[in-house]
Amino acid sequence: MRKLIALICACVFCFSFKANAIDASKAEDFVKKVTTEGVEEIVNSTASIEEKDARFEKLFNEYLDLDYIGRFVLGRYWKTASDKQKDDFIKVYREFNTKTWSKRFDEFKGKSFDFNGTTPSNSEGQIFVNTSVKMNEGEPVKVLWRVKDGGQMKIVDIVIENVSLAITARNEYTAYIKQAPGGLDDLIKDLKEKSK
Amino acid sequence: MKNKIILLSVLFLLASCATNPNGTKMKISDEESKLEIYNRAMFNFNYQFDKMVLKPVAKGYKSVTTQSIRNRVTNFFNNLEEPAYAINNLLQGEMKSSGLSVARFAVNSTLGLLGTFDVAEGWGLEKKKNSFDATMALYCTPDGPFIVMPILGPSTPRYLIGWGVDSMTDPMYWALWDKQDEDWAVALSYGGTALKYINKRAENMALLDSLEEGSVDYYATIKAAFMQNRQKFQSLCDSKNTESQATASYDFDFEDEED
Repeated sequence: MRKLIALICACVFCFSFKANAIDASKAEDFVKKVTTEGVEEIVNSTASIEEKDARFEKLFNEYLDLDYIGRFVLGRYWKTASDKQKDDFIKVYREFNTKTWSKRFDEFKGKSFDFNGTTPSNSEGQIFVNTSVKMNEGEPVKVLWRVKDGGQMKIVDIVIENVSLAITARNEYTAYIKQAPGGLDDLIKDLKEKSK
Repeated sequence: MKNKIILLSVLFLLASCATNPNGTKMKISDEESKLEIYNRAMFNFNYQFDKMVLKPVAKGYKSVTTQSIRNRVTNFFNNLEEPAYAINNLLQGEMKSSGLSVARFAVNSTLGLLGTFDVAEGWGLEKKKNSFDATMALYCTPDGPFIVMPILGPSTPRYLIGWGVDSMTDPMYWALWDKQDEDWAVALSYGGTALKYINKRAENMALLDSLEEGSVDYYATIKAAFMQNRQKFQSLCDSKNTESQATASYDFDFEDEED
Protein backbone atom coordinates (compact mmCIF):
# COMPACT_ATOMS: atom_id res chain seq x y z
CA MET A 1 0.00 0.00 0.00
CA ARG A 2 2.75 2.42 0.99
CA LYS A 3 4.65 1.61 -2.16
CA LEU A 4 1.56 2.42 -4.25
CA ILE A 5 1.17 5.81 -2.58
CA ALA A 6 4.85 6.51 -3.09
CA LEU A 7 4.53 5.57 -6.74
CA ILE A 8 1.51 7.84 -7.22
CA CYS A 9 3.32 10.70 -5.49
CA ALA A 10 6.33 10.14 -7.70
CA CYS A 11 4.16 10.26 -10.80
CA VAL A 12 2.42 13.42 -9.68
CA PHE A 13 5.76 14.96 -8.92
CA CYS A 14 7.03 13.98 -12.34
CA PHE A 15 4.10 15.55 -14.10
CA SER A 16 4.21 18.77 -12.15
CA PHE A 17 7.96 18.99 -12.69
CA LYS A 18 7.53 18.55 -16.43
CA ALA A 19 4.94 21.30 -16.55
CA ASN A 20 7.59 23.86 -15.54
CA ALA A 21 10.45 22.46 -17.56
CA ILE A 22 11.25 23.95 -20.92
CA ASP A 23 11.52 21.69 -23.94
CA ALA A 24 15.21 21.54 -24.87
CA SER A 25 14.78 20.55 -28.51
CA LYS A 26 12.07 23.17 -28.99
CA ALA A 27 14.37 25.82 -27.57
CA GLU A 28 17.17 24.72 -29.85
CA ASP A 29 14.89 24.84 -32.87
CA PHE A 30 13.76 28.30 -31.85
CA VAL A 31 17.32 29.65 -31.72
CA LYS A 32 18.10 27.91 -35.01
CA LYS A 33 15.17 29.73 -36.55
CA VAL A 34 16.24 33.08 -35.14
CA THR A 35 19.87 32.78 -36.24
CA THR A 36 18.99 31.48 -39.71
CA GLU A 37 16.53 34.29 -40.24
CA GLY A 38 19.02 36.80 -38.92
CA VAL A 39 21.87 35.62 -41.08
CA GLU A 40 19.87 35.02 -44.26
CA GLU A 41 17.49 37.95 -44.22
CA ILE A 42 19.74 40.54 -42.71
CA VAL A 43 23.46 39.90 -42.52
CA ASN A 44 24.02 38.20 -45.86
CA SER A 45 21.13 39.81 -47.68
CA THR A 46 21.68 42.24 -50.54
CA ALA A 47 18.70 44.41 -49.58
CA SER A 48 19.08 48.12 -48.87
CA ILE A 49 20.24 49.33 -45.47
CA GLU A 50 16.79 50.73 -44.67
CA GLU A 51 15.20 47.40 -45.54
CA LYS A 52 17.76 45.54 -43.44
CA ASP A 53 17.18 47.84 -40.47
CA ALA A 54 13.43 47.34 -40.74
CA ARG A 55 13.80 43.56 -40.88
CA PHE A 56 16.18 43.61 -37.94
CA GLU A 57 13.81 45.70 -35.86
CA LYS A 58 11.01 43.24 -36.54
CA LEU A 59 13.20 40.26 -35.67
CA PHE A 60 14.50 41.99 -32.57
CA ASN A 61 11.06 42.89 -31.24
CA GLU A 62 9.55 39.52 -32.07
CA TYR A 63 12.20 37.21 -30.64
CA LEU A 64 13.56 39.08 -27.64
CA ASP A 65 11.63 39.65 -24.44
CA LEU A 66 12.65 43.26 -24.07
CA ASP A 67 10.23 43.91 -21.21
CA TYR A 68 11.86 41.18 -19.15
CA ILE A 69 15.37 42.26 -20.12
CA GLY A 70 14.59 45.93 -19.51
CA ARG A 71 13.33 45.16 -16.01
CA PHE A 72 16.40 43.06 -15.30
CA VAL A 73 18.98 45.58 -16.40
CA LEU A 74 17.61 48.30 -14.12
CA GLY A 75 18.21 46.05 -11.12
CA ARG A 76 17.02 47.53 -7.87
CA TYR A 77 16.08 50.80 -9.59
CA TRP A 78 13.12 49.16 -11.31
CA LYS A 79 11.21 48.76 -8.04
CA THR A 80 11.59 52.44 -7.14
CA ALA A 81 10.78 53.72 -10.63
CA SER A 82 7.44 55.36 -11.42
CA ASP A 83 5.15 53.81 -14.02
CA LYS A 84 5.99 56.56 -16.48
CA GLN A 85 9.72 56.03 -15.95
CA LYS A 86 9.29 52.31 -16.50
CA ASP A 87 7.43 52.90 -19.76
CA ASP A 88 9.91 55.49 -20.96
CA PHE A 89 12.86 53.32 -20.15
CA ILE A 90 11.57 50.22 -21.92
CA LYS A 91 10.72 52.31 -24.96
CA VAL A 92 14.08 54.04 -25.20
CA TYR A 93 15.95 50.83 -24.33
CA ARG A 94 14.25 49.06 -27.21
CA GLU A 95 15.15 51.86 -29.63
CA PHE A 96 18.72 52.13 -28.39
CA ASN A 97 19.39 48.42 -28.74
CA THR A 98 17.90 48.21 -32.21
CA LYS A 99 20.15 51.05 -33.37
CA THR A 100 23.30 49.68 -31.69
CA TRP A 101 22.93 46.11 -32.87
CA SER A 102 21.98 46.96 -36.44
CA LYS A 103 25.37 48.68 -36.77
CA ARG A 104 27.12 45.40 -36.00
CA PHE A 105 25.71 43.37 -38.89
CA ASP A 106 28.88 43.49 -40.94
CA GLU A 107 30.84 41.75 -38.22
CA PHE A 108 28.72 38.65 -38.73
CA LYS A 109 28.98 38.51 -42.53
CA GLY A 110 29.83 35.06 -43.78
CA LYS A 111 29.70 33.56 -40.29
CA SER A 112 27.47 30.73 -39.27
CA PHE A 113 26.37 29.21 -35.97
CA ASP A 114 27.25 25.64 -34.94
CA PHE A 115 24.81 24.14 -32.45
CA ASN A 116 26.10 22.09 -29.51
CA GLY A 117 23.07 21.06 -27.50
CA THR A 118 21.64 22.78 -24.44
CA THR A 119 22.54 23.49 -20.81
CA PRO A 120 19.92 23.64 -18.06
CA SER A 121 19.30 26.86 -16.21
CA ASN A 122 18.51 27.21 -12.53
CA SER A 123 15.68 29.56 -13.44
CA GLU A 124 12.27 28.04 -14.05
CA GLY A 125 11.15 27.72 -17.63
CA GLN A 126 14.51 28.76 -18.99
CA ILE A 127 17.36 27.02 -20.77
CA PHE A 128 20.65 27.81 -22.46
CA VAL A 129 21.16 26.87 -26.10
CA ASN A 130 24.84 26.38 -26.87
CA THR A 131 26.29 27.64 -30.13
CA SER A 132 29.71 28.57 -31.43
CA VAL A 133 30.82 30.84 -34.23
CA LYS A 134 34.00 30.06 -36.17
CA MET A 135 36.26 33.07 -36.45
CA ASN A 136 38.92 33.91 -39.03
CA GLU A 137 41.59 33.78 -36.36
CA GLY A 138 41.84 31.67 -33.24
CA GLU A 139 39.26 29.43 -31.61
CA PRO A 140 35.53 29.60 -32.25
CA VAL A 141 33.60 31.97 -30.02
CA LYS A 142 31.12 30.37 -27.62
CA VAL A 143 27.70 32.03 -27.75
CA LEU A 144 24.96 30.91 -25.36
CA TRP A 145 21.33 31.89 -25.91
CA ARG A 146 19.16 32.07 -22.83
CA VAL A 147 15.65 31.11 -23.87
CA LYS A 148 12.53 31.65 -21.78
CA ASP A 149 9.25 29.91 -22.44
CA GLY A 150 6.36 32.02 -21.16
CA GLY A 151 3.81 30.63 -23.59
CA GLN A 152 5.84 31.99 -26.47
CA MET A 153 9.57 31.35 -26.74
CA LYS A 154 11.73 34.43 -26.32
CA ILE A 155 15.42 35.19 -25.92
CA VAL A 156 16.26 36.91 -22.65
CA ASP A 157 20.05 36.98 -22.72
CA ILE A 158 23.05 36.28 -24.91
CA VAL A 159 26.27 35.09 -23.26
CA ILE A 160 29.43 35.56 -25.31
CA GLU A 161 32.52 33.80 -23.96
CA ASN A 162 31.16 33.81 -20.39
CA VAL A 163 30.11 37.46 -20.61
CA SER A 164 26.37 37.91 -20.21
CA LEU A 165 25.08 40.93 -22.11
CA ALA A 166 22.20 41.34 -19.64
CA ILE A 167 24.47 41.28 -16.58
CA THR A 168 26.95 43.62 -18.26
CA ALA A 169 24.17 46.03 -19.11
CA ARG A 170 22.78 45.84 -15.58
CA ASN A 171 26.18 46.56 -14.03
CA GLU A 172 26.59 49.45 -16.39
CA TYR A 173 23.17 51.01 -15.86
CA THR A 174 23.07 50.62 -12.10
CA ALA A 175 26.55 52.16 -11.90
CA TYR A 176 25.39 54.99 -14.09
CA ILE A 177 22.22 55.66 -12.09
CA LYS A 178 24.21 55.56 -8.84
CA GLN A 179 26.54 58.26 -10.16
CA ALA A 180 24.06 60.44 -12.04
CA PRO A 181 22.50 63.42 -10.24
CA GLY A 182 19.16 62.85 -11.98
CA GLY A 183 19.19 59.10 -11.51
CA LEU A 184 17.04 57.04 -13.85
CA ASP A 185 15.80 60.11 -15.72
CA ASP A 186 19.35 61.00 -16.70
CA LEU A 187 19.87 57.49 -18.03
CA ILE A 188 16.69 57.67 -20.08
CA LYS A 189 17.79 61.01 -21.50
CA ASP A 190 21.26 59.76 -22.33
CA LEU A 191 19.97 56.65 -24.06
CA LYS A 192 17.53 58.80 -26.04
CA GLU A 193 20.43 60.98 -27.19
CA LYS A 194 22.43 57.96 -28.29
CA SER A 195 19.51 56.51 -30.23
CA LYS A 196 19.22 59.52 -32.49
CA MET B 1 64.33 42.49 -12.36
CA LYS B 2 64.33 43.90 -8.82
CA ASN B 3 61.39 46.17 -9.70
CA LYS B 4 59.40 43.18 -10.89
CA ILE B 5 59.93 41.41 -7.58
CA ILE B 6 58.77 44.41 -5.60
CA LEU B 7 55.71 44.74 -7.80
CA LEU B 8 54.87 41.08 -7.42
CA SER B 9 55.17 41.22 -3.62
CA VAL B 10 52.87 44.21 -3.41
CA LEU B 11 50.34 42.44 -5.58
CA PHE B 12 50.49 39.28 -3.46
CA LEU B 13 49.57 41.41 -0.47
CA LEU B 14 46.68 42.96 -2.34
CA ALA B 15 45.36 39.57 -3.39
CA SER B 16 45.31 38.35 0.19
CA CYS B 17 43.34 41.41 1.23
CA ALA B 18 40.49 40.55 -1.05
CA THR B 19 38.71 38.13 1.28
CA ASN B 20 38.09 38.03 5.01
CA PRO B 21 40.06 35.41 6.94
CA ASN B 22 37.04 33.12 7.01
CA GLY B 23 36.75 33.28 3.25
CA THR B 24 33.60 35.37 2.90
CA LYS B 25 33.44 38.23 0.46
CA MET B 26 34.10 41.69 1.84
CA LYS B 27 31.07 43.91 2.32
CA ILE B 28 30.94 47.04 0.24
CA SER B 29 32.69 49.67 2.29
CA ASP B 30 34.51 52.95 2.07
CA GLU B 31 37.56 51.04 0.90
CA GLU B 32 35.75 49.84 -2.16
CA SER B 33 34.37 53.23 -3.15
CA LYS B 34 37.83 54.75 -2.74
CA LEU B 35 39.13 52.09 -5.11
CA GLU B 36 36.30 52.87 -7.49
CA ILE B 37 37.23 56.57 -7.51
CA TYR B 38 40.83 55.65 -8.28
CA ASN B 39 39.76 53.15 -10.95
CA ARG B 40 37.56 55.62 -12.77
CA ALA B 41 40.30 58.24 -12.72
CA MET B 42 42.95 55.84 -14.01
CA PHE B 43 40.53 54.49 -16.61
CA ASN B 44 40.01 58.03 -17.80
CA PHE B 45 43.75 58.62 -17.98
CA ASN B 46 44.22 55.44 -19.99
CA TYR B 47 41.34 56.42 -22.25
CA GLN B 48 42.96 59.79 -22.98
CA PHE B 49 46.37 58.18 -23.52
CA ASP B 50 44.76 55.72 -25.90
CA LYS B 51 42.95 58.48 -27.75
CA MET B 52 46.04 60.71 -28.06
CA VAL B 53 48.76 58.16 -28.61
CA LEU B 54 47.98 54.47 -28.90
CA LYS B 55 44.90 54.58 -31.13
CA PRO B 56 46.36 56.93 -33.76
CA VAL B 57 49.53 54.85 -33.92
CA ALA B 58 47.49 51.66 -34.23
CA LYS B 59 45.40 53.25 -36.97
CA GLY B 60 48.56 54.22 -38.82
CA TYR B 61 49.91 50.71 -38.39
CA LYS B 62 46.65 49.32 -39.74
CA SER B 63 46.84 51.49 -42.81
CA VAL B 64 50.35 50.34 -43.77
CA THR B 65 49.74 46.65 -43.16
CA THR B 66 47.40 44.04 -44.55
CA GLN B 67 45.36 41.63 -42.47
CA SER B 68 47.73 38.92 -43.64
CA ILE B 69 50.76 40.76 -42.26
CA ARG B 70 49.00 41.45 -38.97
CA ASN B 71 48.14 37.75 -38.72
CA ARG B 72 51.86 36.93 -39.07
CA VAL B 73 52.69 39.38 -36.30
CA THR B 74 49.93 38.01 -34.07
CA ASN B 75 51.15 34.46 -34.68
CA PHE B 76 54.74 35.43 -33.91
CA PHE B 77 53.86 36.79 -30.49
CA ASN B 78 51.37 34.02 -29.76
CA ASN B 79 54.12 31.49 -30.45
CA LEU B 80 56.35 33.13 -27.83
CA GLU B 81 53.62 32.35 -25.27
CA GLU B 82 53.76 28.58 -25.87
CA PRO B 83 56.49 27.99 -23.23
CA ALA B 84 54.20 29.65 -20.68
CA TYR B 85 51.35 27.39 -21.82
CA ALA B 86 53.59 24.33 -21.51
CA ILE B 87 54.77 25.17 -17.99
CA ASN B 88 51.31 26.02 -16.69
CA ASN B 89 49.72 22.96 -18.26
CA LEU B 90 52.39 20.96 -16.44
CA LEU B 91 51.70 22.73 -13.13
CA GLN B 92 48.03 21.88 -13.53
CA GLY B 93 48.70 18.23 -14.24
CA GLU B 94 47.68 18.46 -17.89
CA MET B 95 50.53 16.38 -19.27
CA LYS B 96 49.19 15.84 -22.75
CA SER B 97 48.46 19.53 -23.21
CA SER B 98 51.90 20.43 -21.94
CA GLY B 99 53.50 18.12 -24.48
CA LEU B 100 51.39 19.62 -27.24
CA SER B 101 52.53 23.13 -26.32
CA VAL B 102 56.18 22.07 -26.39
CA ALA B 103 55.70 20.40 -29.76
CA ARG B 104 53.86 23.40 -31.16
CA PHE B 105 56.63 25.74 -30.08
CA ALA B 106 59.27 23.55 -31.67
CA VAL B 107 57.42 23.06 -34.94
CA ASN B 108 56.14 26.61 -35.37
CA SER B 109 59.43 28.26 -34.45
CA THR B 110 61.25 26.30 -37.14
CA LEU B 111 58.91 25.16 -39.88
CA GLY B 112 56.54 27.99 -39.05
CA LEU B 113 59.25 30.56 -39.73
CA LEU B 114 59.83 31.91 -36.23
CA GLY B 115 56.20 31.31 -35.35
CA THR B 116 54.69 33.51 -38.02
CA PHE B 117 52.79 30.55 -39.42
CA ASP B 118 50.83 28.14 -37.28
CA VAL B 119 51.80 25.01 -39.20
CA ALA B 120 51.44 22.87 -36.08
CA GLU B 121 47.67 23.41 -36.14
CA GLY B 122 47.57 21.79 -39.53
CA TRP B 123 49.44 18.81 -38.12
CA GLY B 124 46.71 18.30 -35.56
CA LEU B 125 48.67 19.85 -32.69
CA GLU B 126 45.99 21.92 -30.98
CA LYS B 127 46.74 25.08 -29.06
CA LYS B 128 46.31 24.51 -25.33
CA LYS B 129 46.28 28.00 -23.97
CA ASN B 130 47.04 28.37 -20.25
CA SER B 131 48.48 30.86 -17.81
CA PHE B 132 49.84 31.24 -14.32
CA ASP B 133 46.64 33.15 -13.56
CA ALA B 134 44.72 29.93 -14.29
CA THR B 135 47.21 27.87 -12.28
CA MET B 136 46.64 30.09 -9.27
CA ALA B 137 42.89 29.88 -9.83
CA LEU B 138 43.10 26.10 -9.84
CA TYR B 139 44.64 26.27 -6.37
CA CYS B 140 41.80 28.59 -5.37
CA THR B 141 43.88 31.73 -5.00
CA PRO B 142 41.42 34.60 -4.67
CA ASP B 143 41.23 36.95 -7.62
CA GLY B 144 41.22 40.20 -5.69
CA PRO B 145 39.42 43.44 -6.57
CA PHE B 146 39.16 45.03 -9.98
CA ILE B 147 42.05 47.48 -10.42
CA VAL B 148 42.81 49.65 -13.41
CA MET B 149 46.55 49.86 -14.00
CA PRO B 150 48.26 52.73 -15.83
CA ILE B 151 48.50 51.95 -19.55
CA LEU B 152 48.06 48.23 -18.91
CA GLY B 153 44.38 48.75 -18.19
CA PRO B 154 41.87 46.47 -16.43
CA SER B 155 43.34 43.88 -14.09
CA THR B 156 43.08 42.17 -10.74
CA PRO B 157 45.95 41.38 -8.35
CA ARG B 158 45.97 37.72 -9.37
CA TYR B 159 45.89 38.68 -13.05
CA LEU B 160 48.92 40.93 -12.55
CA ILE B 161 50.90 38.29 -10.71
CA GLY B 162 50.07 35.81 -13.47
CA TRP B 163 51.15 38.29 -16.10
CA GLY B 164 54.40 38.98 -14.26
CA VAL B 165 55.27 35.32 -13.83
CA ASP B 166 54.35 34.38 -17.40
CA SER B 167 56.46 37.19 -18.83
CA MET B 168 59.49 35.57 -17.24
CA THR B 169 58.95 32.55 -19.46
CA ASP B 170 59.06 34.67 -22.59
CA PRO B 171 61.84 33.32 -24.83
CA MET B 172 62.78 36.86 -25.91
CA TYR B 173 63.43 37.68 -22.24
CA TRP B 174 65.90 34.83 -21.93
CA ALA B 175 67.50 35.33 -25.33
CA LEU B 176 68.42 38.91 -24.42
CA TRP B 177 69.11 38.15 -20.72
CA ASP B 178 72.86 38.53 -20.72
CA LYS B 179 72.89 41.31 -23.29
CA GLN B 180 71.13 43.95 -21.21
CA ASP B 181 74.01 46.41 -21.62
CA GLU B 182 73.93 46.34 -25.37
CA ASP B 183 71.94 49.08 -27.06
CA TRP B 184 70.65 46.92 -29.87
CA ALA B 185 69.26 44.39 -27.41
CA VAL B 186 67.46 47.05 -25.41
CA ALA B 187 66.04 48.57 -28.60
CA LEU B 188 64.91 45.17 -29.79
CA SER B 189 63.25 44.42 -26.49
CA TYR B 190 61.36 47.71 -26.33
CA GLY B 191 60.60 47.67 -30.03
CA GLY B 192 59.23 44.17 -29.79
CA THR B 193 56.96 45.07 -26.88
CA ALA B 194 55.71 48.15 -28.71
CA LEU B 195 54.94 46.17 -31.85
CA LYS B 196 53.11 43.52 -29.81
CA TYR B 197 50.77 46.04 -28.21
CA ILE B 198 50.26 48.18 -31.30
CA ASN B 199 49.31 45.09 -33.26
CA LYS B 200 46.94 44.00 -30.49
CA ARG B 201 45.36 47.44 -30.40
CA ALA B 202 44.87 47.40 -34.15
CA GLU B 203 43.25 43.98 -34.04
CA ASN B 204 40.78 44.81 -31.28
CA MET B 205 39.83 48.24 -32.61
CA ALA B 206 36.52 47.23 -34.18
CA LEU B 207 35.39 45.38 -31.07
CA LEU B 208 36.29 48.14 -28.62
CA ASP B 209 34.78 50.83 -30.84
CA SER B 210 31.46 49.03 -31.05
CA LEU B 211 31.54 48.36 -27.30
CA GLU B 212 32.12 52.02 -26.57
CA GLU B 213 29.41 53.15 -28.96
CA GLY B 214 26.84 50.96 -27.25
CA SER B 215 27.59 52.09 -23.73
CA VAL B 216 26.54 55.01 -21.56
CA ASP B 217 29.13 54.18 -18.91
CA TYR B 218 32.16 52.75 -20.69
CA TYR B 219 34.10 52.12 -17.48
CA ALA B 220 31.25 50.06 -16.00
CA THR B 221 30.86 48.10 -19.23
CA ILE B 222 34.55 47.24 -19.42
CA LYS B 223 34.65 46.32 -15.73
CA ALA B 224 31.58 44.08 -16.02
CA ALA B 225 32.84 42.34 -19.16
CA PHE B 226 36.35 41.87 -17.76
CA MET B 227 35.23 40.44 -14.41
CA GLN B 228 32.57 38.21 -15.95
CA ASN B 229 35.10 36.77 -18.37
CA ARG B 230 37.24 35.84 -15.38
CA GLN B 231 34.46 33.67 -13.99
CA LYS B 232 35.73 30.83 -16.16
CA PHE B 233 38.66 30.59 -13.73
CA GLN B 234 36.26 30.13 -10.84
CA SER B 235 35.10 26.86 -12.33
CA LEU B 236 38.69 25.55 -12.12
CA CYS B 237 38.63 25.95 -8.35
CA ASP B 238 35.06 24.67 -8.07
CA SER B 239 35.77 21.54 -10.04
CA LYS B 240 38.14 20.50 -7.27
CA ASN B 241 35.39 20.81 -4.64
CA THR B 242 32.81 18.33 -5.80
CA GLU B 243 30.38 19.30 -3.02
CA SER B 244 29.88 22.89 -4.15
CA GLN B 245 27.31 23.08 -6.92
CA ALA B 246 28.49 26.25 -8.56
CA THR B 247 26.00 27.73 -10.93
CA ALA B 248 27.32 29.56 -13.94
CA SER B 249 27.87 33.24 -13.20
CA TYR B 250 25.69 34.21 -16.14
CA ASP B 251 22.78 32.10 -14.88
CA PHE B 252 21.05 34.89 -13.03
CA ASP B 253 17.90 34.64 -11.00
CA PHE B 254 15.54 37.43 -11.89
CA GLU B 255 15.42 38.66 -8.30
CA ASP B 256 19.20 38.53 -8.00
CA GLU B 257 20.65 41.82 -6.90
CA GLU B 258 24.31 42.61 -6.75
CA ASP B 259 26.10 45.88 -6.54
